[in-house]
Amino acid sequence: MSLYGLIAQNKSLRYLDAVTGDSYTLPDLMKDVWDITERPALAFLYLDNSIASVKLLLQCLNSRLTLALLSPKLHLDYKQRLEEVYEPYYIYDVTRTEIPDRDLQDNMLFCNRKGIRNVIHPDIKVLLSTSGTTGSPKFVKLSEDNLEQNALSILDYLPINSNDVTPLNLPVFYSYGLSVFTTNSIAGGQIVCGNRDVIQKEFWEDMERYGYTSVAGVPYVYEMLHRIGFNRKEYPSLRYMTQAGGKLNGTLIKAFGEYLADRNKQFFVMYGQTEATARMAYMPPQDLLTKNGSIGKPIRGGQFTLAPDTHELLYSGPNVFGGYATTAADLTNFERLPVLHTGDVATCDEDGYYYITGRLKRFVKLFGTRINLDEVESILKQEIQGETFACIGVEDKHLLVFHRITGLEESYIRSLLSKKLGLHPTAFKAQLVEDFPLTPNGKLDYTALQKQDIPQVQH
Amino acid sequence: MNTTQTLHDIIAAALSIPAEQVTDDLSYQSIPEWDSVSHIYLITELEAAFGITIDTEEVLEMSSVEQVKETLRKHNIEI
Repeated sequence: MSLYGLIAQNKSLRYLDAVTGDSYTLPDLMKDVWDITERPALAFLYLDNSIASVKLLLQCLNSRLTLALLSPKLHLDYKQRLEEVYEPYYIYDVTRTEIPDRDLQDNMLFCNRKGIRNVIHPDIKVLLSTSGTTGSPKFVKLSEDNLEQNALSILDYLPINSNDVTPLNLPVFYSYGLSVFTTNSIAGGQIVCGNRDVIQKEFWEDMERYGYTSVAGVPYVYEMLHRIGFNRKEYPSLRYMTQAGGKLNGTLIKAFGEYLADRNKQFFVMYGQTEATARMAYMPPQDLLTKNGSIGKPIRGGQFTLAPDTHELLYSGPNVFGGYATTAADLTNFERLPVLHTGDVATCDEDGYYYITGRLKRFVKLFGTRINLDEVESILKQEIQGETFACIGVEDKHLLVFHRITGLEESYIRSLLSKKLGLHPTAFKAQLVEDFPLTPNGKLDYTALQKQDIPQVQH
Repeated sequence: MNTTQTLHDIIAAALSIPAEQVTDDLSYQSIPEWDSVSHIYLITELEAAFGITIDTEEVLEMSSVEQVKETLRKHNIEI
């Protein structure tokens, strides 16, 4: 059965508009849908979490379109670059009133005057961005089966039921947010659509008004919840919370784990990647406090192994993606790899619980967004006179830029990267170095940089 | 420099926007720069600059420049 078919079977399902309080069944929402093509074609959907976006997403899931789910807040230059590379047939973006060579139709979709430009493998249903906000045209190719299988595996351990009231407080263009949407659409009750976040008073008013039964968050959301004193209050309707999108620090795991356990509520700390549709592992809540720091065990249908030489965590399961796309030509194939190389280094304890101990891939997670460090280096090189830069992540808290340009202000780098990546300037730091440390074969030695083991600047 | 000017400078710096853009009706999420990350940063900066502790309710209420000023007035800061 199709994903849409599974959703349509859920008779308890209601989509609520957080702003008006209006409630819709799936047939209500699909009553007056817009005309879209019945041919396979590529659609770029810049979606927020409003009821209008959700309606369009559901309609497109029930079509032959391949959907690239994207952030409406993406920098305009990046949007244009992506659209040049992929030439989508449809674009949905309420932030723009016109797009060159495209007509805005009654259905709010910008339609390509040149017609359908892509040949797309029939298995590719959804494209998700890997690179957060750097505007890289790299997408993860996911099939409908990937989405369904991962949703079903998640439903195997999360206590989702038809009495639930679930806020869509994570973006649906983000794999974790999309999984909240798919799982609750299949097996949940009410899904509250809106763009309010946890530091808005309205979110907490909605929590009381609608009686939210769960809240999902990336580590940064938990840091904010902690900051605003979440644990000093009571939330009678809340049954469980979930966390994914990076490693939450042990102190917060303990704080939230104890708070929830004391009230017979559950805290699910989870692990995943967009390349695995979303989820690969979760911590059974009863073991959370005794195995603090573990990513837990693989989800149903999934398996972990450790690469013998590097100890890289390898995952296999029906939710492993069908390869990356970096050009339109990459949409013609969908090849499921038997094993996903997570890029994380891990160990496994005697009870079968996995722990991440390091990272092989070059990225940093800032405020829940994955930032490819090599891409940041090339952005800097492009913007600053072709100079060489070396970027490292510092505990997923900062992105540290090493450079050799005397007089280059940290504030300049901060504001440049903040604009380019759409992240707060305090996420970036800069450090002047005399020279970059090199490995014996002449490459930048990131391990030395990470240890701050660098030639000091002579004054 | 008066307190209002100081406040506008703090807000401009926290949100990384030009000071001219700081008006009373500027509100949370009305511009991409005023998101949850910069909001928490702004709260921290205000606490440091005025030597006050901003509590949970206030963090949630300070969703526009006008409301930031109102909250500061509650802390006996003349704006």
